[in-house]
Amino acid sequence: MTKEFQRFCAVDAVPANGKKAGRVNGTPVLVVNTKGKLFAVSAVCSHQEKFLTAGRVRNCRITCPLHGAQFNLETGEAMCLPATKPIATYEVRVVDDWIEVAV
Amino acid sequence: MSDQALEKGQARCPGEPSTQEIIARDRVKAPQWVTSESYQFMGDEDVSVDRYIDADYAQKEYDRLWSRTWQFACREEHIPEVGDYYVYDIGKHSFIVTRTAEDQVKAYYNACMHRGTKLRPSGTEGSATVFRCPFHGWTWNVDGTMKEVLCDWDFPHVNKSEFSLPEARVELLAGFVFINMDKDAPSLAEYFGPEAMSHIEQWGLEDRYIVAHVSKIIPANWKLTMEAFMEAYHVLETHPQVSVSNADANSQYDTYGDHVNRFISSLGVVSPHHRGRYSEQDVLDQFTVGDASVLEGADRTLKEGETARQRMADMMREMFSKAADTDLSKVSDAELLDCFSYTVFPNTFLFPGISLPMVYRFRPVADDHRKCYYEVFFMHPVPANGERPEPACEEHLTEHQSFCEAPSMNDGFGAILDQDTENLLLQQQGLEASAKPGITLGNYQEIRIRHFEQTVDKYVNS
Ligand code: FES
Ligand SMILES: [Fe+2]
Repeated sequence: MTKEFQRFCAVDAVPANGKKAGRVNGTPVLVVNTKGKLFAVSAVCSHQEKFLTAGRVRNCRITCPLHGAQFNLETGEAMCLPATKPIATYEVRVVDDWIEVAV
Repeated sequence: MSDQALEKGQARCPGEPSTQEIIARDRVKAPQWVTSESYQFMGDEDVSVDRYIDADYAQKEYDRLWSRTWQFACREEHIPEVGDYYVYDIGKHSFIVTRTAEDQVKAYYNACMHRGTKLRPSGTEGSATVFRCPFHGWTWNVDGTMKEVLCDWDFPHVNKSEFSLPEARVELLAGFVFINMDKDAPSLAEYFGPEAMSHIEQWGLEDRYIVAHVSKIIPANWKLTMEAFMEAYHVLETHPQVSVSNADANSQYDTYGDHVNRFISSLGVVSPHHRGRYSEQDVLDQFTVGDASVLEGADRTLKEGETARQRMADMMREMFSKAADTDLSKVSDAELLDCFSYTVFPNTFLFPGISLPMVYRFRPVADDHRKCYYEVFFMHPVPANGERPEPACEEHLTEHQSFCEAPSMNDGFGAILDQDTENLLLQQQGLEASAKPGITLGNYQEIRIRHFEQTVDKYVNS
């Protein structure tokens, strides 16, 4: 199955330093606007399946609010324990004032 | 020899101006914290080497020194919002340092009250609405009170009000969060003493932010590593490229109470070791600063009678004002130019100057007294618009990397730090191989080391 870009939300819904979670084909996706760029990653932590949505973003990393695992938003790489596996990352683009994500 | 008439510790580099005489000639005058002196002779016996080479000694330090001293755990800017936290470790100890209210920070022992799991991984920071153990999910509120026990019917013996997270003491000073495990320790103000406190309070370090953070494992005892930065006596041999324009042999050394000491090492003047061999123009020509890029393209030809030091101060005032977008018109020439290095016991250096604006932190690597973890923070003034940038994240180097490999490290400064640390393995090994049971110290130029080790002794032996 080829990945197709789908509308996620309006660009205004994710301002600088903002983030927004939603589902794309049933998959929970988190879009983050940081350092002047949009990132789309899985909204679920690879450690114990908690939502990352409320996690703090700093230096292009998101921290799981519950157990403190950290992930690189660009690559999905797990940066510290308790996570050892990456989270999925998705292509993201802006078309006609819409954020689109390919899941 | 006339020197023999002097009391021990009173001799100074002969025939050279003192640091105070150098600074007194500056155009923009220095404040009182710069112009005062506080040297005291503290004996001239050798300092025993067991402190550097003995694993049992390191264990005593954990039991008696680290457990009773105030330590810089993080900066307030690491945890600006309620629920933000930073994990600070010392040896096997670990603390979650978290903001619990706008003006309140707490430090929790980082261990679950159920079966002990660390609530947050070491070496991390983030933000929390609750602290939830990843094992069985016991949960605490950000204020440390217990929130939830799964299947509490099985724990009738757990009284929630007695299961708050245990705390270490916390005090805030100049943007730094200090913690202390000892309930009976003096307050931070008593610990530093009035004189050192007044210095720290005048620097405005709360208005700086971390623009770069580089760390590296050093293959030597933490104290040995710190002591490599406590004197300018090594500059001639270790840093030949900067020695011409550094008043090294006539730097000033001061001690304050048990926990603070400093040196002032003036720059932009010819070193006593090079007296007569370099002109003022030569000094200016070879002068570099931490961030040399700010001086690119500057006019470097001295006028008749003009000194290299004054030209450097004027240039740096202009360049740093622009680069940092702050007003430096009232900052003294000395604060702009010179290296002010303070040790805050046990493991932190503060450099309140403008051209060399660092904080260093040193910690032993747990279980290995022959290795330490050295961190360099560069602190810039918060921009004039008041918007505080995010603190830089840590760039970690392995033992065999050069400091120059850290992306945010300036090459000239990285090379100096390499020189400072490259000899440390040889020193560690040499102390282990030595037939001599103690190290020998200069009375004046190495007073910070003696002062520091005497305080180490006070903790370890009591
Ligand atoms: S060890 Fe923490 S909940 Fe069991
Ligand atoms: Fe040095």
